[in-house]
Amino acid sequence: MNIETQKVKSFIAKHNSEKKALISILQDIQKEYNYLPQEALRIISETLGIPLIDVVGAATFYRAFSLKPRGKHIITVCVGTACHVRGGPKILGEFKRDLDIDEGETTKDNQFTLETVACLGCCAIGPVVVVDGNYYAQTNMRKVKSILNTYRKKEKENEGYQQN
Amino acid sequence: MKDINKINSIEDLKQIINNQIQKRISDKKPVLIVSSGTCGQARGSLALIEALEQVIKDEYLHDEVNIKVTGCHGFCEAEPNIIIQPQGIFYQHVKPEDAKEIIFETILNNKIIDRLLVSDPVTGEKAVKEKDIRFYKKQKRVVSGDNALIDPTDIDDYFSTGGYSSLAKILERISPEEVVETVKASGLRGRGGAGFPTGLKWQFARKAKGDIKYIICNADEGDPGAYMDRSLMEGNPHRILEGMIIGAYAIGAREGYIYIRAEYPLALRHISLAIKRAEQLGLLGDNILGTDFSLNIHISEGAGAFVCGEETALMASIEGRVGEPRQKPPFPAVKGLWGKPTNINNVETWGNIPIIIDKGAEWFSRIGTNESKGTKIFSLVGKINNTGLVEVPIGITLREVIFDIGGGIPGGKKFKAVQTGGPSGGCIPVEMLDLPIDYDTLTKAGSIMGSGGMIVMDENTCMVDIAKYFLNFLRDESCGKCLSCREGIQRMWEIVKDISEGNGKEEDLELLEELANIVKDASMCGLGQTASNPVLSTLKYFKDEYEDHIKRKKCPAVVCTEIVSSPCQYTCPIDQEASVYIALIAHRKFEEALKIIRKDNPLPSVCGRVCHHPCEKACRAGEFGEPIAIRSLKRFVTDWAIENDYRVQNNNKSKKDKVAIIGAGPSGLTAGYYLSLKGYQATIFESLPVPGGMLAIAIPDYRLPKKIFNFDFDNIIKSGVTINTNKTLGKDFFIDDLFKEGYKAVFIAIGAHKSMKLNIPNEDSKDVIQAIELLKEVNLGNEVELGERVGIIGGGNAAVDAARVAIRNKNCKSVTILYRRTRKEMPAFEEEIESAIEEGIGIKFLTSPTRVLTQNGKVIGVECIQMKLGDLDASGRRRPIPIEGSEFSIELDTLIPAIGESPDTSFVSNKDKLSISKWNTILVNKETLLTDQIGVFAGGDVATGPRTVVEAISAGKTAAESIEKYLEGKSLTKEYKLTRPSLYVEPVELSEEEIEEAKRPELSKLSVKQRQKNFNEVELTLTEEMAVKEARRCLRCELETEEGKKAIGR
Repeated sequence: MNIETQKVKSFIAKHNSEKKALISILQDIQKEYNYLPQEALRIISETLGIPLIDVVGAATFYRAFSLKPRGKHIITVCVGTACHVRGGPKILGEFKRDLDIDEGETTKDNQFTLETVACLGCCAIGPVVVVDGNYYAQTNMRKVKSILNTYRKKEKENEGYQQN
Repeated sequence: MKDINKINSIEDLKQIINNQIQKRISDKKPVLIVSSGTCGQARGSLALIEALEQVIKDEYLHDEVNIKVTGCHGFCEAEPNIIIQPQGIFYQHVKPEDAKEIIFETILNNKIIDRLLVSDPVTGEKAVKEKDIRFYKKQKRVVSGDNALIDPTDIDDYFSTGGYSSLAKILERISPEEVVETVKASGLRGRGGAGFPTGLKWQFARKAKGDIKYIICNADEGDPGAYMDRSLMEGNPHRILEGMIIGAYAIGAREGYIYIRAEYPLALRHISLAIKRAEQLGLLGDNILGTDFSLNIHISEGAGAFVCGEETALMASIEGRVGEPRQKPPFPAVKGLWGKPTNINNVETWGNIPIIIDKGAEWFSRIGTNESKGTKIFSLVGKINNTGLVEVPIGITLREVIFDIGGGIPGGKKFKAVQTGGPSGGCIPVEMLDLPIDYDTLTKAGSIMGSGGMIVMDENTCMVDIAKYFLNFLRDESCGKCLSCREGIQRMWEIVKDISEGNGKEEDLELLEELANIVKDASMCGLGQTASNPVLSTLKYFKDEYEDHIKRKKCPAVVCTEIVSSPCQYTCPIDQEASVYIALIAHRKFEEALKIIRKDNPLPSVCGRVCHHPCEKACRAGEFGEPIAIRSLKRFVTDWAIENDYRVQNNNKSKKDKVAIIGAGPSGLTAGYYLSLKGYQATIFESLPVPGGMLAIAIPDYRLPKKIFNFDFDNIIKSGVTINTNKTLGKDFFIDDLFKEGYKAVFIAIGAHKSMKLNIPNEDSKDVIQAIELLKEVNLGNEVELGERVGIIGGGNAAVDAARVAIRNKNCKSVTILYRRTRKEMPAFEEEIESAIEEGIGIKFLTSPTRVLTQNGKVIGVECIQMKLGDLDASGRRRPIPIEGSEFSIELDTLIPAIGESPDTSFVSNKDKLSISKWNTILVNKETLLTDQIGVFAGGDVATGPRTVVEAISAGKTAAESIEKYLEGKSLTKEYKLTRPSLYVEPVELSEEEIEEAKRPELSKLSVKQRQKNFNEVELTLTEEMAVKEARRCLRCELETEEGKKAIGR
């Protein structure tokens, strides 16, 4: 991936180049590139004067960050207690089986990344699944397939388009 | 967009607030208030709002009605919901298609739309107004109530509820010290979890040395299942800001931070907007309202770390570091953010401050208990009818919250436990439901108040699984600094995981408890110190569940995959491998399917007709659709076998000991069959002239045709077992005689054939016929005289069978069942009740007989009393209570009591050492079926009281195994094995269409006309196409275990 040094530096500048803004900067980088490229971490370390080990430390400590490139569609399955009690694990298992990946992994064609989150605060509609910011209420094993198909169809329709 | 003008003085602010309040009061225009927080939006509120706006636009109704988009109203279960003011009408589950109707009918024509009203989950009654809804009645929505009044993106709305008037009040005439005293006097305790007295905390920060001080709002809300903070920040962000500004003033801080989870994008948006507005209006920034008090509030986003809810970790995160907690003392009040005195409070705590200032400490302290003042918002989630955010005075009981406000457990299931306090809390069982909810009482019970999450669990929640779940969560979220937390939680998780997979050992529980206490004692921060709570509390209250997993390799809640494998096989009393034979049907391998069935069941054709199919109740497909029609599929295979005359091969001729079996019902026949296969000379002594027990004399032909039973019976005889009919124990012979004749072991399986009496006057009249008597006579082919009007007392299968037999009697014109509870509680099979109603049988519910009415010795009717259902008891069911003075009579010619049967143990002689219970059952060791008498075993209804066919068959199997061990001199102790299928069949691939259309087949039945006055079988078999299609719908749960996955190469 081509990391433009200027772009990364602009994120740093946006937060007044303050050390305390490290996490906010990482969040901006992740939003931009869909993950945290190693190169970006080095730039941050140099620019802010924070040892690289500490930057990597923060990047690996917080769940929200990914050091690996993620897929086009991020599937987030809630594994909070309320969703767990309502059968969340089976939903996660169904996604794993259908996509043939484990949680935290991305499909070979880079279409889907499967992640989990411990509670989105929408327990009334549990088990909850979020895909690209779209919330799915009361998912069950059958709905998993139809959710995936929605996005697979979208990809087929967008064939030939350059995304992003 | 409005003009944003800075408010320059306190007076100006008060004026603006007053204007807005007046505006709200005087505005009489109807408003459609739509709940549109994150969960409202997830359920479609945005589309609904669009639809409403469209109708208003198309019909030019801007002058007639307004729409207000608010945050959460708290009743999440009802969303998308609308409150219509000024009437206060509450509509639930509103769809965009309802928009036009609501506006035209309710707004313009004042008509209520019934189907949109909330229905009480307990009584079924409909509530029109918000205040009449059970969910809201006992709440006191002091902090969260305004969510339903204001648009969170509009500061004017906040003003209109009196918002920022508390700020004006303190800036005008209350000193910072007085503010601290007020908060102290109120008794407010931190709402984030620890419950530390807020006023005291403020005082520490106020008194701390230094010019630079900080305030922080902890909006990290990491407890899974708790989302009240999200709701407050989305729905009323200015309330939080106002609280923080007041706090900063009191403490002397000039900078504030709101640390908010990244997982709350909408809350983040609203709070950011609120800060911007406040800054624009001069409520934040330099010289607020022209005073010399200044405050800037910044937002700091979390990035997904539960531990950052802990205050020192949170501060590290704000500082841009890894969220590792540090040693306390020093406490943040003394040394916090960047080493400066810092006061951190939870969102809900901040949200309480403006009201305390407004209404006073005394008002606040009158709510709640002695130790804990005010209200608390709880998130009531999990297995609960009324899911939502509940704000109640502290001190209300758990029972009131769960069964009253919460409306109880869905699906009529039984309450098991409520988990409070998130991963730091514990599970509270049913015995403690009357505990008043209070910081201290919850701690004493082994849990904590925590942030207020209340996760309700029912009989299908496994407590071992819950402990494993929390440990898994915590081992992931542990920052890793302390060995005890980092390694300890990991080890605890490994132990509980082993237990959940059926690999637990006896010593594990002791080790677990020891580890748990070490982790608790040796960890530095709250995460580690409370990590053991879920384990310790589940061990305390649900130890037997752990022991079931370890000793018996059983998961009573049917959850743990490695133990349960496929729930159908797991719950089957005779271990039938349903998912295997279903898979074979899907592949059209009917002969192999038959082999699988017969392996564990000598009466499969019978079961295919009359089994009560606990497998279908456990079927996972039933969790989101219809369960697989397992019994019908079994019947398809057994009918195919009968059609193709598939008989059992003859077996085993080695001569071993003689065993006597008393009773040729399903239990005795099964025991005889398996004992013969094992080579024993099994002889069955049957009292009736025909074999079969209840199968032959109680279940009518239209349910179980004789030829079906006979096919299975013939196969059983082939095994070599001998049957002597017309031989009654206690009359023709005694147990003693059997041993004298050389039998080495005896299995008593005489069932429960003695009808229970009603114990009402005149029940011995000749027109009162016990149900079992009637059924027996009809099944044996004898004529029975019945009157024209027949009444049946009871609600079980015997009652319904008797009713359906009676209506087929040539004389009988009408049949009515009288049952003392409601349809929901009737124990008879649902299919039977439906068929009975189809056949014209009437049922009178909540009716109990008090006397039989006779004239000249003939029955002319029955006097009954009306019953009513009382309140919910601890198990969540409503008990029937007679209504005084409500007696009435029903005219009848024949009365048939069917209220239950008990065993006839009059055969017991003084030489026997059998122990008999007060219900007349023979006492046995439940696992081995051995009685108190040497060499004598007992099983089936005679040991359990009336139960089902398959349970009797199971007893027969167990008896055969126990007797074999006994005769071989081996220990009778049962060996426990994990449920596993004997083979793994390849799954079938379903096309997308098939998945879409997959539905349980409707069973064909004879029309009511075709059934009249005959005993032809009513239910018809599935066709091959229907059977294969249904078999393909099976989810193949046995392929989910590690072994299963490996077997098919996943």
